[in-house]
Amino acid sequence: MTLSRPAKDAGEPFMSIAARIHEVPDNLLAAIDYCYEKGWTDGLPVVPPTLERVHATLEHEGRPPETVIATHPATGLELSLHAAAVNAVMAGCLPEYFPVLVAAFEAMDKPDFNFHGSTASTGGSAPLLIVSGGYADDIGMNADVNLFGPGNRANATIGRAVRLILRNVFQMVPGISDKSTQGHPGKYSFCIAERMRGNPWPLLCEAQGYPKGVSSVTVFAAGGFCNVENHGGNTPQQVLSSIADAMASYGCITLGQSVVILAPEHMRILADAGWSREEAQTYLFMHAKRSVEGMRAVGKYRASEYEKQHGAHAHQLVETGYVHRGLAPEDILMTLGGGDAGGHSCFIPSWSRGRGSIMQHKPIGVCIDCN
Amino acid sequence: MQLYDPTTSGPQRELLRAPPLTSLDGKTIGILENGKLNATEMLRELARLFEDRHGCKVHAAYSKSNASAPAPAQILKKAADEVDFLITGLGD
Repeated sequence: MTLSRPAKDAGEPFMSIAARIHEVPDNLLAAIDYCYEKGWTDGLPVVPPTLERVHATLEHEGRPPETVIATHPATGLELSLHAAAVNAVMAGCLPEYFPVLVAAFEAMDKPDFNFHGSTASTGGSAPLLIVSGGYADDIGMNADVNLFGPGNRANATIGRAVRLILRNVFQMVPGISDKSTQGHPGKYSFCIAERMRGNPWPLLCEAQGYPKGVSSVTVFAAGGFCNVENHGGNTPQQVLSSIADAMASYGCITLGQSVVILAPEHMRILADAGWSREEAQTYLFMHAKRSVEGMRAVGKYRASEYEKQHGAHAHQLVETGYVHRGLAPEDILMTLGGGDAGGHSCFIPSWSRGRGSIMQHKPIGVCIDCN
Repeated sequence: MQLYDPTTSGPQRELLRAPPLTSLDGKTIGILENGKLNATEMLRELARLFEDRHGCKVHAAYSKSNASAPAPAQILKKAADEVDFLITGLGD
């Protein structure tokens, strides 16, 4: 395995991209209003993308600005590094955040992520970004108290930049090519860091097989956030059964993947009992299930989905007569996040009733085996 | 103040529309079902109306496994070779 950082482009840095430039009055508020008038915002004010700020952002990426990092599979619209930088500036990103945004779109560009479907669908999902490793600390991301809430510039603006790119570059405009029935607040921004402090399990970037010192970003087409409160349980089984129940709720259960972020209070219960990530994933997979009769009763049973889970390639833990959430324990991403106090973990379901999008990951700021 | 446009994508592609049919009478119609519940039934019923009203011939249905992803290019190419027009649908 070789690591490399793309070499600086030796040529004229911004001559090869046909970026349009707008002349606006030399007035910040007028420039913000201009961005509104052009339809470039998510409803909140944006930072006007001046040439200087965009160039400074591109300094954190060695490849030429016209390099394409993602392509819309249906329309052919392409995301260049330059366009990504423009939208990063508008979202309020500092230049050093840019490698995370680039890695996120490189991960979203993998066909199995299906960013077109997950963005266009009535399901109303949002790409959740989970940043793992030292880079999150380097840029001051929040993995701690109020993890999914406001207050941290990196978390807020990296996630927001994803949405602005989907809107501005890929033209996934609400009501036109984004047909979310209800959407959810994560469509403004949905980006967190994995908590390293007090984490008894290997970091995601380690579990994903990246070399020591390499951080990663995982992307997940995420439905709405479900808080799992349990202040009374003090065994792994009690805590995880609460989470499994949320995962198997009739409104949420599908063959899709899951993200579970354990609060430190809950994680300590698992860690003190010596539970590994794999053991916890297995427990959740075994218990996040509904009977076929129950699924039929609410009108959600489909024989083809049951066959997909119970057919020739069924996981050994699949139980006859039940529909489990996901196809295997590995479909459940689990890690640590949030503040020290409170028995509040969360479960986040995937978009779609099936396997419409599979989570992906990419290293941040490095290229592996690219030479 | 100069601002970069955030909507810039890659080079413009040349996209061409197929020429419109001058008549539907006697044409071969294709169906592309997307795997959604009842999609095949609904599209077959729609095709039957074209049979009744325009004497169209209905070709065997094409299928794509993922409703939310574009149809694979080879399926579209095959359909273009075999039918005069294709109907499909989105949603549930």
